[in-house]
Amino acid sequence: MSTHASSPSAPAPGKALLVGIAGIAVSLLGLFVHGAEKFATSWLIGMTFWVAVALGVLFLVMIHHIFDAGWSVMLRRQYEHWLSSFTWLALLFVPLLVIAWTHPTLLWSWMDPHYDLAAHGGHGTVGDDVLWSKKSGFLNRNFFTGFTLVSFAAWIGLAAIFRRNSFTQDGDGDAKWTLSSRKWAAGGIPLAAITLSGCIILWVKSTEYHWFSTMYAVWFFANCMRVGLSLGLILMVWLWCRGDFKGLLNDNHMHSIGQLMFAFTVFWAYVTFSQYFLIWNANVPEETFWYNIRETGDWFYVGMTLLFGHFFLPFLTLIHYPVKVNKKLMPYIAFFIASIVLLDICYNVMPSQKVASGDPLPFLQGGLIWTIAAVIGIGGICVWAYLRSFATTKLIPIRDPRIGECLTYHQGHAD
Amino acid sequence: MSTQPYGLIAMYDTPAAAMHAAEQVRDAGYKFWDVISPFPVHGMDRAMGMRRSRVPRISICGGLLGFTTGMSLIWWTGGYNYKLLVGGKPFFSPLFAFPVSYELTILFTAFATIIGMFVLNGLPMHYHPVMKHPTIHRGSDDAFFIVIETRDPRFNAANTRSLLEKTGGKEIAELES
Repeated sequence: MSTHASSPSAPAPGKALLVGIAGIAVSLLGLFVHGAEKFATSWLIGMTFWVAVALGVLFLVMIHHIFDAGWSVMLRRQYEHWLSSFTWLALLFVPLLVIAWTHPTLLWSWMDPHYDLAAHGGHGTVGDDVLWSKKSGFLNRNFFTGFTLVSFAAWIGLAAIFRRNSFTQDGDGDAKWTLSSRKWAAGGIPLAAITLSGCIILWVKSTEYHWFSTMYAVWFFANCMRVGLSLGLILMVWLWCRGDFKGLLNDNHMHSIGQLMFAFTVFWAYVTFSQYFLIWNANVPEETFWYNIRETGDWFYVGMTLLFGHFFLPFLTLIHYPVKVNKKLMPYIAFFIASIVLLDICYNVMPSQKVASGDPLPFLQGGLIWTIAAVIGIGGICVWAYLRSFATTKLIPIRDPRIGECLTYHQGHAD
Repeated sequence: MSTQPYGLIAMYDTPAAAMHAAEQVRDAGYKFWDVISPFPVHGMDRAMGMRRSRVPRISICGGLLGFTTGMSLIWWTGGYNYKLLVGGKPFFSPLFAFPVSYELTILFTAFATIIGMFVLNGLPMHYHPVMKHPTIHRGSDDAFFIVIETRDPRFNAANTRSLLEKTGGKEIAELES
């Protein structure tokens, strides 16, 4: 066991940093090739995706602590490393704040009361629009900026506390760190839930500020959890393939995370269907237009891909026990789910951008390259932050009170 | 009244002893046998060579039946047998039939799972031959037992007894049926 507990030889983070910088550089190129609007959309999608990953990870760490979970102790350490990405995500959000204060109508037309709605088939200006003025207590630039900053501060603060508690415990083995984490998790879960909801509404939902949906934040939470769990699975199997988790990772760990992935597949479907069904049933124009524009052009096929790829395929695959414990197959499923989460975010962001005729921007268009570049770029920075943190501590929290329970989880046979 | 005994029973003191004994009985190729333990022992299913339960297959049948019941009930009543226009909606749409079908999926899955579990595990069982064994009460307290049934094709009074002895079983006794 002593060989596993020592600091593993981490892969050099430099390569990830290079990928990150290259991706960001390419997406900046889009600024000059296709203009500011395409860049802004791409950057918003990239940021939303990686914030979703980090928030899913933050929630899973807090859920681990609040339930005093045993099986996920060694996975939690990898999550704690990933939490270091929040600081960099806050920094990478700056371009969006600059857009909000200099060219807000690139993404958020409600930030400019003089914005002429006639350009997209409406009439009057945003300032005259009752659907904006009634919401303006929430939808205003100062609140947008303040709430975003407070949210990032909350996430970075929570991440720092959970990392400190866990890493310090490696040294002194004091159970007080575990108890402290449990208390912070109890307060952190509602805090993260409120900040997550507010941010996704301000950043993404408000790109169509006419729209109403009470399910929106829950939809985003479901995606956060799905992508966070997928990341956890990928990291576990990656470490197993590298040899670090040889003899530690057993079938029961795989089964448990697979069950959570399955559960959140169903949860995502439940929430997403509820949102669609309630809007379909009520049939109110201020709500239905959102889905109507997503049935034009190639967005219809994207919607169908989400229905089958985001629900039916993972549902019918993950339901089988032999699949959940298959270390070769599961990473592919996890990568697939992560890509579909990205597609889901594209589905929510991109159609708010309109082409000259007033139709939504199609999914398959040249600007997609900059979106992919932004996702790879921001992702590279997150991976870099993870790898940098990975090298600084023990592979598993060796003095966590429940580490023994985790390593012999249901006395599964590790291989 | 059958004159053939039900099987042979052997007692073990620790979970580890019972688990290792179970592995040897499994490897000897027995099919009709069981372990009696006061509490669930993790890994015992593997030591006994048990396959995964067949209950999930019954569950999925129940689920599919529930979903079809919901969909066809709503289609038959609202879209076929007694058409009624409500709120300008179509006579039938899978959208509004979905919540009910979904609930019935869960309900029928739960029924199928519970019923399937009881059918497969044979509970409630009011009589079992091991109940007559004088020390069986310790099987709910501090002892572990392995019972090998005579109906097992590999059962042989002398060989099975020596196998149980070899695994460290104590107080090996014959159970009358």
